[in-house]
Order: sequence, then structure tokens, then C-alpha cells
Amino acid sequence: MAHTTAPQTRIRTKAPAGTPRTQPQSPAARRRTVTYHGLMIVAAFTWFIPVLWMISMALTPNDSLQRSSSSLLPSSLTLENFVTALGAGELARWFLNSAVVSITTTVVTVIFCAMAGYAFSRIHFPGRRLLFIVVLAGLMVPKEAMFVPLFLMISSADLQNSYPALILPRLAAPLGVFLMAQFFSKVPVELEEAARIDGAGRWRIFFAIMLPLARPAMASLAIFTFVLTWNDYLWPLVASTRSEWFTVTTGLASLQSNFAAATDLGTLMARGLVGSLPLIIVFLLFQRQLIRGITLGSGEK
Amino acid sequence: MDAALFLAPFLAVYAIFLLAPVGQALYMSGFNWDLLSPIRQFVGADNYLRMLWGTGIVWNISHAWLPRLLVLAVTALIIRSLLRQGPSKTAAVVTGAAGVIIAVLLGFHPGPGGAWNDSGFWNSLQNTLVFTLVSTPILIALGLAMALLLNNARRGRSAYRAVFFLPYVLPISAVTLIWSYLLNPDRGLIAGALGWFGVDGIAFLSEPALAMPAIIATSVWWSVGFNMVLFAAGLQDIEPAYYEAASLDGAGYWQRFRHITVPGLSHVTVLVTITQLIASFQIFGQVYIMTRGGPGTATEVLIQHVYEAGFKNYQLGYAAALSVFLFVVMAAVAAVQFRLISKDA
Repeated sequence: MAHTTAPQTRIRTKAPAGTPRTQPQSPAARRRTVTYHGLMIVAAFTWFIPVLWMISMALTPNDSLQRSSSSLLPSSLTLENFVTALGAGELARWFLNSAVVSITTTVVTVIFCAMAGYAFSRIHFPGRRLLFIVVLAGLMVPKEAMFVPLFLMISSADLQNSYPALILPRLAAPLGVFLMAQFFSKVPVELEEAARIDGAGRWRIFFAIMLPLARPAMASLAIFTFVLTWNDYLWPLVASTRSEWFTVTTGLASLQSNFAAATDLGTLMARGLVGSLPLIIVFLLFQRQLIRGITLGSGEK
Repeated sequence: MDAALFLAPFLAVYAIFLLAPVGQALYMSGFNWDLLSPIRQFVGADNYLRMLWGTGIVWNISHAWLPRLLVLAVTALIIRSLLRQGPSKTAAVVTGAAGVIIAVLLGFHPGPGGAWNDSGFWNSLQNTLVFTLVSTPILIALGLAMALLLNNARRGRSAYRAVFFLPYVLPISAVTLIWSYLLNPDRGLIAGALGWFGVDGIAFLSEPALAMPAIIATSVWWSVGFNMVLFAAGLQDIEPAYYEAASLDGAGYWQRFRHITVPGLSHVTVLVTITQLIASFQIFGQVYIMTRGGPGTATEVLIQHVYEAGFKNYQLGYAAALSVFLFVVMAAVAAVQFRLISKDA
């Protein structure tokens, strides 16, 4: 598929396939619309029940949850669970860890990938094609399969339970290079030539012209990287053995194997919600960039 | 040498944290390599023999004939679509050879009185395959159905999409937190709903036959939004003019679906299938948090087996051999994806 237009502009301008353009609706068509939305609302509500239940439990006092937790509406309301979730236990520390790891990983990944992507698409050097193939071949290495040698590498460098251990292995993201290279290859060459005639050097062109142009692609890559990093489970589980170095994802998991947690279900759910909150906010704010990142990342475009 | 400076930061992390570990895994897999003591004993292919072989292994044509026939059938299908795409004879030959070899190898099994060296490996491989082969079609069919439904919306599309997609951004441990309790026989929402009908709660996660379906349901809820988004983008790329022309010619919904939507989505479908196969094969978090591979070993999966070989039994050499196996399987699937992507590049 060789589309060069940005997908989001297409989405806006196109009517959904198979439906007629705006015309006054016939009664039959209106009935169909009502049925459709009725069904969709039921489906969406059903799909959302697990999340609603989590929110409801987080708002319910622990002792009433011990009597019964199998209803969707809270029997009485409290905010105490959130106070406990943030105050007691290590959630605040995990939150900090996740934030440091996810933000650093995202920023560095985007910069490294933009630089490499630019070089691959715009600078002619011997062996460029071969090197690009080598990088693309990295897509075939499953990240999840290599945690044993990575662990040995980290532990022999004495980096276990540290931010570098959590961050460094995630920076090798060939997909990001591929995305950025694809983006830069579509920028008209004339732009760069005009700047060069004006006396701008390679770095100046990159930072002053290319990077600002690449903002949409970088935003998609950034959001996608942030979500995946925050949600990573296996590597933080291997890299951190002490609970103060857990991330939100591994920390929440460690609470679930603890059967004492059964007595403060409300607090547990509040912890889950607080730990997911950054992602929910990112999702609500940047839904379109995230979805674009996924679409691009799958190599569909 | 501007290029070198632009490339150096990425290539450094790429070489150290992606390429080197592959080499390191291959190297370690040749050793008896203990995590805690300084034992580093070269053992050649012993780790691989331990993983793949056993005592009293025999081969016959009829053992596991159904999976083997399936392997051959799938191979034939892939070859057919490869040949249809044009000049990809090498790929077809490689696929064919791989399929036949796998089908032959599956005939090996422990004879009477024999046993696998590591039956846990075969059990976790089987569980991983079951999870992958059951969850993938569901995740693809449901993702496509959701995308088609969304595509009919003239209003409220982004709201519906947001609801269906939201679970995907939750950390796996938040998802398991919800679902472990949702499925809980005493306290869960499902048990509560069953209670209205006078049915007792079902202990999904501690019932060997129900644990894997419960894990699959959790995974579908968590990640189907991802596929939905990809299919939705694919649908947007189909020219509306085709649908209009077909409607004018009197084509019904089913005919338009069959002759416009399905061919229009074929590229996306291939990509979604491969991405999903790779993702499903790497399943770990859901299982490890919700059941620890239990009840018994009913839901133990490959990554968990690697994890436990390395960090519970401290046998890093053997864990590395298992990693290499995982790597080979996934790289074979990813090679197809690589071919498709690099064709566009």
C-alpha cells in the first residue's frame, strides 16, 4: 500500500464506507440507526463492565467489600482507598520508577530513532542499504526471548536494581528507526537543498527543518513507546529483585500473589487505578497519535 | 562523516542490547552455566538434547497424526498463497521443506517405558501453542467484527472506539487484578451474576479445563482493541467508490463484504495475523500473575518455563537453550513479516 497522504486527514474527509452521504433519512434508515446505536451502546457498556467494577470497588470501603463484592454499584462511597493507596505501601515509589523509566526511554528512543532514520533516508554513505537491512532484521528478534543473556549482561555490570538496567535494553527499537526513515524519505528533497544553499549544515538542517517537520511521526512513536514501556512486565520482573526498584506493572503484580490482599480489595483496586491513570490520561489526550503509531508500527502503511 | 554521528547512538544500543544478547544466548546454551555458583562447564549440545530428546524415543507414522496433518495442510496453504503472489519460489521451497520436516519430527515420542528429558518443556510448548492457536482466530475475527461495526457509525465512532480500545492501554497487572477477581468463585461479578440464577460460583482459575479458556478470555478483552484499530484503518483505505458502484449494481451487504471488504483487507489481515501470532506466542504476564502456570501445570507457557529454568532452578545455560528455541520459532514467523515490510521500504 503506497499511500503518502496522512491517514488522519483521510479519516476526516471520508464518509464511512457503505453508508449514503448526508441525505434526509427515511424512517427505515432512522430505525436502523437507532437499533445500531442501541446495540453498540449495550456492547460498549458490557465491554466496559470490568473497568466500571474496578472503579466501583476502589470507591467502596474495604469492610463492605468483605461482605460482598459481586455487585457493580458501590454499597457505600469512600475515598479512603485512594488515600491509603498513595500513602501506605510502595505505590508512590513504583510510580516514580515507572515515570522515570518510561519518560527517559521515550525521549531517548525518539531522538536516537529520528537521528538514525534521518541518516538512513537522507545521507548517502557506502553500505547504507546493507546496514538498514541489518537494523530491520532486528525486528525478527523477539524482545521477550532474550531476557536470560540480557540479565547476565546487566548483573555482570552490577546494574541490577537500577534505572539503567530498566531503561537501556528498551532503547534498541529497530521499529522506530524504520518508522522515522519512512517518514523522512517522504519529505521533499528541495526543502533540504534550499537550506543547504542558504549555508545550513547537516545538523542545522536536521534540528531546524527536519525535526519540526517530523513532529507527527515523533509524537506517534513517543506515545506508542511510552505505553509499551509503562506496561512492560517481563523485563522489569527480571531486572529488579528489590521491591523499591519495581515499576507500577511489576509492583501491582507482586501485590496479587499476596493473599493478605484479599482483605483490602478496595485499596488494591485503588492502587490498580492509580497505577493505570497515566496511561488512561495519555490515551484520552493522545488517542489519535497512539492509534496512528500502532497503524504505522504494524508496517501497514 | 555525518552519517556515522547520526547513526552511532542507535547502532550502539542496537548492537549491545539486541544483537549481542542473541550471540550470548547461543554461547551460553553450550554450557552448564549456574546462576549462583561459578560453574561454567562446556557441555556441547547437551542442553538441546535435554530440551528436545528423552529416553526410549521412537518414531512412527501414526503418532499425533492429526496435528501433523494440520501442519502439512497449513504448509500447503502458505505455499499456495506465496506462489500466487508471484516470483517467490525460494520462499515456497523453504516453507515446504520446513513444514515437511516439522511433520516428520512430530512423529518422535517416548516409546513404552521411555520419557522426555524435560516433559515440562513439551507441556509448556503445547500450552503455548493451544493458547496461540485458539486466541489468534478469536482476536482476529472479533477485531474485524468490531472494526466493521465501528465503520457503520456516522456518529459516536470515536467514543465506541475509545471504549473498545481502552483495555489495551492498561498494564497487564491491572488487567489481571480485575479479571482474577471477576472470575473469583466467591467474590466475583460473574459468580454474582450466576447467583441470580441459583448457580454456584465457578472456580475458573483453579479448574484445569477452565483455566486456559479464562486466560484466553482475559487476553481477548485486554488486546482485541489493537487489532480492531488496525482493521479500522484498513477499512478506511478501501475506496468508498467501490461500495457505491456495487450498491448501484444491486449488491447486498454480504456480497459487498465478500467481494470488496475481504480482498481490500487482505494485506492488513496478513499483517494482523502475523503480529498476533508473535504476540500470542510470547504470552507470559497473564498466566504468571493469574495462575502461576497452574492448576498443576495446566497453563504453564514457554516464557514461564524459560524464566523458571533460569531464575528458579538457576540453570542459565539451559534457560539460554530454551531462549534460542523460542527465538528460532518466532524469527521464522517474523521473517514473513520482515519480507512484507521490507518490500515496502
